[in-house]
Amino acid sequence: MADEPVGQGPIHLELRMGPKLTRPVPPEVTEALLSAQITTTAGERSGFQLAFDLTKKGAIIDRLLPEGFFDPRTRVVVTAAVKGTPIVLLDGLIVRHEVGASNQPGQTTLTVTGEDLTLLMDLEERTDRYPNLPPFKRVTRILSKYTDYGIEAEVIEEKILQPPNAQRRVDYQTGTDLQYVTDLAQANGYVFYLIPGPVAGVSTAYWGPEKRVGTPQHALSVNMDVNSTVDQLTFAYDGTAREEPQARWQDPATRTSTLLAQPDISPLRPPLGKRATPALKRKTLSGTAKKDRAQAEAEALARAAVSADAISGSGSLDVNRHGYILQPRQLVGVRGAGATYDGEYYVKSVTHHLRPGSFQQNFTLTREGLIARSDTVRA
Amino acid sequence: MTEPQPYESALDAIPGAHPYPRSSRYHDAEIGIHTQPDGTPVRYVKRRLLPPLGEPDENTATHTVSSGERPDHLGQRYFGDPAAWWRIADANPVLDPRELTAEPGEEIEIPDGFPSGFPGSGPGGGMRGR
Repeated sequence: MADEPVGQGPIHLELRMGPKLTRPVPPEVTEALLSAQITTTAGERSGFQLAFDLTKKGAIIDRLLPEGFFDPRTRVVVTAAVKGTPIVLLDGLIVRHEVGASNQPGQTTLTVTGEDLTLLMDLEERTDRYPNLPPFKRVTRILSKYTDYGIEAEVIEEKILQPPNAQRRVDYQTGTDLQYVTDLAQANGYVFYLIPGPVAGVSTAYWGPEKRVGTPQHALSVNMDVNSTVDQLTFAYDGTAREEPQARWQDPATRTSTLLAQPDISPLRPPLGKRATPALKRKTLSGTAKKDRAQAEAEALARAAVSADAISGSGSLDVNRHGYILQPRQLVGVRGAGATYDGEYYVKSVTHHLRPGSFQQNFTLTREGLIARSDTVRA
Repeated sequence: MTEPQPYESALDAIPGAHPYPRSSRYHDAEIGIHTQPDGTPVRYVKRRLLPPLGEPDENTATHTVSSGERPDHLGQRYFGDPAAWWRIADANPVLDPRELTAEPGEEIEIPDGFPSGFPGSGPGGGMRGR
C-alpha cells in the first residue's frame, strides 16, 4: 500500500480519485482498503470493485461519504508498482457504491463498483450520419470528442477497405457512441478497448486488430518444480468453436448471387500454433447479400477470424512469485505444459485481485492452433 | 519538441518494440536516427531530461543516510529492486549518484515512484540531463 512504511515488499499500490482530475487519496482511505478486483478484457470494457472497511467514527463514514467522495462518476485511477516499475491497472469511473452495515464490529464495508472510461461513451444515445467516411474515420471522429479525460485515439485502418459512396449508401449511427464503435469493430474483426497508462491520467482508446505480434511477455512456467510461476493452468480445445462462414453477395446490376471465397485470416490472426485447428461448423451469414461487396467480405473475414480461437487456457498466478504483472491483450509464452500446448498465446483477459499482502491474477489465454512454433519462449 | 521519427509511430503499436525494458530509465526516452555521411542510419537514444524536482514532502519520504550505504541498497530497500536506484537519484539534486550516499547523516528524498499525467504533477522537461 502506498502509505505503508516503505520497504514493505516489492509491490506498492497507488489509488487516485477525483471528479475529473484525480489526486492521491487521503491516507485514511488507503488504510481502509480491504481488497480491489480489476477485470480487463480484450474487446470489452474493464470493470473494478473496491472494498473499504467502514469503521464507526472513521473519516470515510463521517466526512468523505457525505461529501460525495465516492459518488458515481468519480474518477478512479489504480496504479501498481512491482519492483519500482509503475503500471496503471485501471482508469475508470464509479458507477455505484453499496454500504453493508453489520452488527459485528469491523464487518461494515463500503463496496465501490465501476467501469473504465468507455462508460463516458455509453451515457448518451444519439443519431448521426456519416456520409463519405470509411469506418476508421468515423471512429476517429467519434473518439476525438473524449480528449478532455486524457483519452488519446489509436485507430488502425480496416483490413478490407470499404470506400464509401454517399450516392448509394449513407451510414447512420443509432444508439450510444460505444455501441456504434464496438459494432464497427466487430464488423471488421477488430476490437475496441481502452488501454490505461502509461502514467495516471492518460489512456489510449484502441480500435484495431488484436495485437498478436511483438515481443511476448515473460513466460508462464508450469510443472517445473521450483521454477513454476503459475499456481495452475488448464487448457481446453473446443472443436465446435471454429466456423467456416458462408456469405452470399448479390450483384445489384446483374442480380446474380455469388458465394464469397473463404478469406485468409492471417492478417487478423497471425498463426501462433503450427497445426491449425479445422473448422467443423459451417455458418451461413444473414444479410450479407444486400451489402456492398467489401462490407460482405469484411464480415466474412471477421466471422472466420474471431471464431478461429479454438484453444483456450485459464489459470492463476501470484505476482510476487512470477515477478511481473501479466498484462492483458498481449502475447505471453507458456512452457512446461507439454509439446501440444506450449508456445505463445494471446492474453485475452486478466483479473487482478489485490489485498494487503497479496496480489493474485486470474487470466485466460487463447490461440488458434496447437504445437509451439519455436523451441524457445522468452523467460 | 523534435520531429517524431517515421518508424517510431509504427513501432509504438508493437509490444516490446522499445529497446529498453519498462524498468529502465530510458524506456520513455526518444529514439533518434543519425544518418552517417555514407547514408547508413544509426539509432541512438536522445538525451533524457530529468523530471523537475518536486517540493520536498510532496509524494516523497525522507531517508537519513547511514554509513556504508549505496544507492542500490536504497533501491532494494524501498522498491524491492536494486536496479531502481535511479528513481531515487532523479528525485534529488545530484549529478553523480554516488553523491546520494556520500555523507552519512544527510537527508535525501525517496520518491513514491508513481508519476502522473495530470498537470502540476506530471513529468515535465527539466534542465538536467543524465
